[in-house]
Amino acid sequence: MKIFASLARGSLVAYTALFFAFIYIPLVLIAVYSFNANPINMMTWSGFTTDWYAQVLGYKTAITGDAFYVESTDQLVQAVFNSLKIAASTTLIATVFGTSIAIALYHFDFFGRRFYRVVLFMPMLMPDIVLGIALLIFFVNSGINLGLKTIIIGQCTFLTSYVFIVVSARLSGMDRTLEHASADLGANEWTTFRKVVFPQLLPGILGGALLAFIISMDDLVITYFIAGVDVTTLPMFIFAMLRRGIKPEINAIAVMMLSFSFVIASLGLYLRSRQK
Amino acid sequence: MLTITARRRAQLAILLGPASLFLAVFFLGPLAIMIVTSFLAPGLYGGVEWTWYPHNYGRILGFADPMFEEFDPVYIAIFLRSLKIAALTVVATLLVCYPAAFCISRLSDRWKSFCLFLITLPFFASLIVRLFVWVLLLRQTGLVNNVLLQTGIIDRPVDLIYTEGAIILGMVYVFIPFMFMPVYASVEKLDWTLVRASLDLGAGPIRTFLRIILPLTAPGIAGGAVIVFIPALGNFVVPAILGGAKVMMLGNLIEQQFLAARNWPFGSALAMMVMSVMLVLLFSYVVVSSRRGLDAAPGR
Amino acid sequence: MRESIVRMEKAAKTFATPEGQTITALGGIDLDVRRNEFLTLLGPSGCGKTTLLQAISGFVELDSGRILIDGEDMTDRPPYRRPVNTVFQNYALFPHMSVGENTGYALEVAGIGRQDRARRVAEALRMVGLEGLEGRKPRQLSGGQQQRVALARAIIARPKLLLLDEPLSALDKNLRQAMQIELKTLQHELGISFIFVTHDQQEALTMSDRVAVLSGGRIQQLDTPRAIYDKPRNSFVATFVGASNLFEGEAAAGRLVTTDGIAISHGEQGSTGAATALIRPEQFFLADPGQAGPILDVDLEQIVFVGSTFELFGRTATGRRVIAEIPAMRRGLVGEIEQSRRARLSYDPSAVHLIPAEAA
Repeated sequence: MKIFASLARGSLVAYTALFFAFIYIPLVLIAVYSFNANPINMMTWSGFTTDWYAQVLGYKTAITGDAFYVESTDQLVQAVFNSLKIAASTTLIATVFGTSIAIALYHFDFFGRRFYRVVLFMPMLMPDIVLGIALLIFFVNSGINLGLKTIIIGQCTFLTSYVFIVVSARLSGMDRTLEHASADLGANEWTTFRKVVFPQLLPGILGGALLAFIISMDDLVITYFIAGVDVTTLPMFIFAMLRRGIKPEINAIAVMMLSFSFVIASLGLYLRSRQK
Repeated sequence: MLTITARRRAQLAILLGPASLFLAVFFLGPLAIMIVTSFLAPGLYGGVEWTWYPHNYGRILGFADPMFEEFDPVYIAIFLRSLKIAALTVVATLLVCYPAAFCISRLSDRWKSFCLFLITLPFFASLIVRLFVWVLLLRQTGLVNNVLLQTGIIDRPVDLIYTEGAIILGMVYVFIPFMFMPVYASVEKLDWTLVRASLDLGAGPIRTFLRIILPLTAPGIAGGAVIVFIPALGNFVVPAILGGAKVMMLGNLIEQQFLAARNWPFGSALAMMVMSVMLVLLFSYVVVSSRRGLDAAPGR
Repeated sequence: MRESIVRMEKAAKTFATPEGQTITALGGIDLDVRRNEFLTLLGPSGCGKTTLLQAISGFVELDSGRILIDGEDMTDRPPYRRPVNTVFQNYALFPHMSVGENTGYALEVAGIGRQDRARRVAEALRMVGLEGLEGRKPRQLSGGQQQRVALARAIIARPKLLLLDEPLSALDKNLRQAMQIELKTLQHELGISFIFVTHDQQEALTMSDRVAVLSGGRIQQLDTPRAIYDKPRNSFVATFVGASNLFEGEAAAGRLVTTDGIAISHGEQGSTGAATALIRPEQFFLADPGQAGPILDVDLEQIVFVGSTFELFGRTATGRRVIAEIPAMRRGLVGEIEQSRRARLSYDPSAVHLIPAEAA
């Protein structure tokens, strides 16, 4: 019986190890092979090189015409720049909207509050593509030119929900009697908000903003439909490259993006764990 | 001076006004227009004609417009395939996550939070990059084929990518956090003394699993299943990258209608099909979980 | 009569439950709290005591009636403009502020300068025995220390009235008893009125100048602790405060006869008609053989030793339950009755209190 139990436990541990291997080994492999010199068979090792990174970053032009696949570093830089611009604006707007809705729904009881909550959960559950085409039809019908502006508006509709949910979670974990205590000690509503509610809410707001920023940077589907012809974001740029063919430069870009988001996410999660 | 109620009303208006206006115009508005569009006739050169035209749905469900086209079962086939792939994705994701959730829930707090960190981390990385990784592994000159060729298991490359299997694999890979978190939440809450009690009362491990562990963790499984199934059903990126032109799902079909065929009403009707499946699922989830909640309440 | 600091007139409040019923939390309460008095609101949960407290602090708006504090009408004033401070049940210390910041919050909000504030914070913390802990965060303190910070924070602005909402319920028994004495001392030092809410009758009797027993949104009795215990006005008060033996029946001069034929002698000559006689368990004695005077014979079901006393649980011949408390020094006698399983209980008729049948 004891052998049976430890056998079960052992296989469970082995399974979990496999589970993490499944998640991380592919990521490790592409990081390793992004230094592979073989330009045709990217997964057949033929020597170490940093050429692909150099080319992506514009330090070196391609050796052969065939390998020259990042049309130009300028385009990549422009896409990154667009993504950052969009993410910064949407994060700001969605954080203000999401936070104010969360506070309003927490503090006030009004007619239609439950309906409001349902509406806010909808964009998180809806498949992206549905929202994407709905926005496309709407913008085209109302004669708004597709571009940066429409991407920002479109992303804000669902990012507001993400911020709302993160801030609401923080609010519901807060002790309501603290506000009573503050009022009891002579602070009016505004002072209570400034000195008691807001400082405790701040980590939630920052968390929501970080999440909104990351999702905005990564959004492909909705942006894809409402971007129009002139604006390209980073995910759209990679998607377009992938559709044309797989080249080693994509590998290098992918690894840089992975490292960047892992560093940011680790930092965010680390800060959050320290807060507790 | 304002009365307390009037002041509260003003505060509420300031807090809620701008955001509500924004969401009404740019979220509910587009959805309403999409619903309307799905009942309009497609124009000849893209665009729409403002006439009642239920045949967009007819093309999918079998009552096509007799004037222009014959009913083609290809759309219902794509719809059913999408349902199948989404369902298989749910099952596969659950099989991957459930045992791991058990193992992790028994670890010490330090290791637990480290494992949860490792599981959430990929969620923050670019979706498209994570899918690209599988292209490199699965394609004809990919790593898996290379290894199989070198070890002599196969003598020429096999088709791994651009199959339903590849799509399911890719979906499982990106949806792991969606399934893991709700399942883990209910596994973590599981009271192990109940399991011991069941074993003590003479039930074997399998019976204990079926009668105690499974029912108690069912809410997490149901929650995870819903939030994996819905985005999987309407997914567009995964089949676009790992399914290619060979395996088409609803998401690709919708994209095609909008960006290539320029038949927006038909595309909207397809999107409405996805939405209705989602609403049916969510509604039944809410009904079932609230009924369970009532049953569990004491004194009823 | 001393001047009153708080006056409540016909204060009424009802709540709607989610199931659609209405609950009367305050059923038209009239209450005067005297200056410099320690008043306790005692009652089971849901009796309206917390609502009453929150009506004074301003967190509950009355449906009707009014509240005066020091002669000023407070009914429509928000909580932050009332000269009242509260010690909350869970302390409600601001987790993101230090002990010093918590304590000085009322002064900071009132716009009092930093130096003045620091001096008064130090003084308030000294009063509660926490000098020098200004820099700590609330979570670094023990439960008892957090309790003291909450107290210091509530008294620093010199309120006219301090409200305490079951502040001791989270502390363990020893700490609780120490705090009871400290609170009483503090109240004398400060010279302000305390209104203290509790469901613990022992606590209420120990600390209060007066106790208001609440039930169903009404004050059942407002009196000194002794009067509440010895002369409860109705059977709710009699059973809620202390253990009791109640005998309902018809009272005549010096005697009350129950429907099952038990006669109880009492000293209240004037009372006649339907009434209930109250005998506290500790007023029973074990009768010496052949003793004259009123006697109650019981069959014993259980004898429980609780340290200072034995508790006897018995039944009369007609099946009525009786509880008696016998001092532990009478061990010898208890040994005898343990053998016989029967006891003869005597009592002093002048210690029997008659509760007239309620008019309602």
